[in-house]
Amino acid sequence: MNDYLSGLGALLEQYDVLGAFWTNIQLTFWGALFALVIGTMLALMRISPIASLRWAGATYVNVFRNTPLTIIMTFLVLAVWTQLQVSLAADFNSNFFRLAVIGLAVYHAAFVCESIRSGVNTVPLGQAEAARAIGLSFLPAAQLVILPQAFRGAIAPLGNTLIALLKNSTVAAAASVSWETASTMKTMLEFNADYRWEIFALFAIGYVILVIPIGLLTTWLSQRLAVKR
Amino acid sequence: MDQSTPTTGQPAADETVDAPTSDRVLGAPLVELKHVNKHFGALHVLQDIDLTIHKGEVLVVIGPSGSGKSTLCRAINRLETIDDGSIAVDGKTLPEEGKALAQLRAEVGMVFQSFNLFAHKTVLDNVTLGPRKVRGMNKKDAEELARSLLDRVGVGNQAGKMPAQLSGGQQQRVAIARALAMQPKVMLFDEPTSALDPEMVNEVLDAMVALAEEGMTMIVVTHEMGFARKAAHRVVFMADGQIVEEAPPEEFFTAPKSDRARDFLSKILTH
Amino acid sequence: MRKHTMGLLAMAAASTLVLSACGSAEVGGEPDGGGTATAGGDGGGDGITIGIKYDQPGLGLQDGAEYTGFDVDVARYVANELGYSEDQITFKETPSANREAMLQNGDVDMIFATYSITDDRKEVIDFAGPYFIAGQDLLVAADNTDITGPEDLEGKNLCSVTGSTSAEKIKTDYAEGVQLLERPGYAECVTALSAGQVDAVTTDDIILAGLAAANGDGNLKVVGAPFSEEQYGVGLPKDSDQCEAINEAITKMIDDGAWEEAVATNTEGADYTPNADLNPPKPADCA
Repeated sequence: MNDYLSGLGALLEQYDVLGAFWTNIQLTFWGALFALVIGTMLALMRISPIASLRWAGATYVNVFRNTPLTIIMTFLVLAVWTQLQVSLAADFNSNFFRLAVIGLAVYHAAFVCESIRSGVNTVPLGQAEAARAIGLSFLPAAQLVILPQAFRGAIAPLGNTLIALLKNSTVAAAASVSWETASTMKTMLEFNADYRWEIFALFAIGYVILVIPIGLLTTWLSQRLAVKR
Repeated sequence: MDQSTPTTGQPAADETVDAPTSDRVLGAPLVELKHVNKHFGALHVLQDIDLTIHKGEVLVVIGPSGSGKSTLCRAINRLETIDDGSIAVDGKTLPEEGKALAQLRAEVGMVFQSFNLFAHKTVLDNVTLGPRKVRGMNKKDAEELARSLLDRVGVGNQAGKMPAQLSGGQQQRVAIARALAMQPKVMLFDEPTSALDPEMVNEVLDAMVALAEEGMTMIVVTHEMGFARKAAHRVVFMADGQIVEEAPPEEFFTAPKSDRARDFLSKILTH
Repeated sequence: MRKHTMGLLAMAAASTLVLSACGSAEVGGEPDGGGTATAGGDGGGDGITIGIKYDQPGLGLQDGAEYTGFDVDVARYVANELGYSEDQITFKETPSANREAMLQNGDVDMIFATYSITDDRKEVIDFAGPYFIAGQDLLVAADNTDITGPEDLEGKNLCSVTGSTSAEKIKTDYAEGVQLLERPGYAECVTALSAGQVDAVTTDDIILAGLAAANGDGNLKVVGAPFSEEQYGVGLPKDSDQCEAINEAITKMIDDGAWEEAVATNTEGADYTPNADLNPPKPADCA
């Protein structure tokens, strides 16, 4: 029993599990931030009065929502970085981290867009008509009237997208971010197979601890911020 | 750009009337519809509509449901597009989408059947939004204006509340204040009392009558004959997308000329 | 209870539908396809399932229905010696992280998959062999002259496979300032090396030789200064009784020249010879 515990302790000393989770949290933070920006712009395009913008937004969503994230990550590293030699930083680790953030952002932006669009659908048409009737053109109407209400209606689906993003941040391994959780877990398993159940449990519990608060927070927020009509 | 330039040099305010009379002096044409046509699919909802509303005039549009009266009202600020013909407000033809259209809409106040107050903003913010963001008014002036308008329609004490906390009648009066805050040249009312509980109808109509008495040009789609009698200069009766009859209210309600109008009036007057 | 029965019936009906749908699709494409289905399976009872890598040219590579590489050649030889004919052998992919588990669960009977003998692993499984002694080395462009060993990687860019410790080892023991790219497979490392985004690829020399032979067209070379010792063993379930027999087979393979031939054919074109001080190895005593 003592051997078992000391073995487990040594394992945690040897591998920086907390650091790995911190990496995924950082990937999630930046990925979510950029995904929110891109996704909001896409949502604006998809509800805009200009047909070509609507088309471009829809095309983006259909392409990126239906492409596996692993393929986007691999594309970024193999095509963009290796072949086109586009570097985002001289330092490899920063470079791959940023590539991974881009991959996460462009992929989840499609889901953010659709979440916001579902939020826009909760806003009655009359709100847009009233905004137009007082002389607001499309962008101010969207910014002042539609989006503030749409975001409140989109909190639950946006929260689900954030949870998916956190879990998908492990795909950053495909962009050579080898110090994140999934890679760390794989390495630990390869060299310490005798503790495999404990290692699985460690990472699974870690993600549960991270995901549950997001779910609780979004439920609370969506109730608190709901627009009363 | 120069939307403030009137087509005629004469200010219309002097020419408005205090009480509706059929032989009053009309101001210059303010809203002109010429040969306006619109289809919803196979349905021809506006059929070659010609209609001119003068400065200071209060026009009531009446007609059975599906007659096209709401569509007509909404077409005047292009919430509905038209297939052909032209609509001009104060001498300027309605532009296509874009900034010019937004500017023109700012000159045309609109009150909806379902109020459409911005649900995430307080009553005060609902009224100040247009003046601040469209007219570029500063916060202090906009709030001053908003409070005076809210007082005028009798909801000054509700300024800090959210729309959902107000009764329907109160919300509709806020909506009138919101439209007035843009200092519009003409006000459109699209069945403003149809969604209200009966006991709230009068508070809204009173606000509208007061507005009419101040000389506001108004186009009102409504079934409220009391309002029409009290405030309107002219009643337009629509059926099946056409203007069937137009006359001063007294004349229309007591001696309608067309069978359609007689039929319609008998239906709404029998109870 | 009745509800459950109905549910099961429904599931059975649904799966029958799915299966028959598949069946008819196959019939459309390949009229006599149904007959071959059992040939590759391990339903034979007397067969042997051997775990190999599927993605390492020169060692264990799946190429359509064929399996090639040094590991595969040794595995075939040993299996033959153990009394299994060619068609009784089933190869199965054993990725690095799953090897112990697949042995313990009985998914495979033995593993020939660049499987280094370590004390940690010996606690959970048994090893026969070693049948080859590899060393960590570097793969560089053929015209590269400034990288002759791991110390030269200071400030250079290095690629290795995700989850391997070989790159970390260079970082901690030889060149702290090395920048690491990790890819899921060596082929991608070679792509990055060919494109010039990394200066070197590191792993065991024989793997590098296989990669150079398969991808390089003579543009890549193994530096040839191995700086570690990796004993490739045959992974067996704990307390296996086959260790002795396997060791005998390996010794025989070395003695009759088949071993040397296998090394040569699988690294052809890479200008590679295994570390002669250590190879061919002598299998260790079985525990």
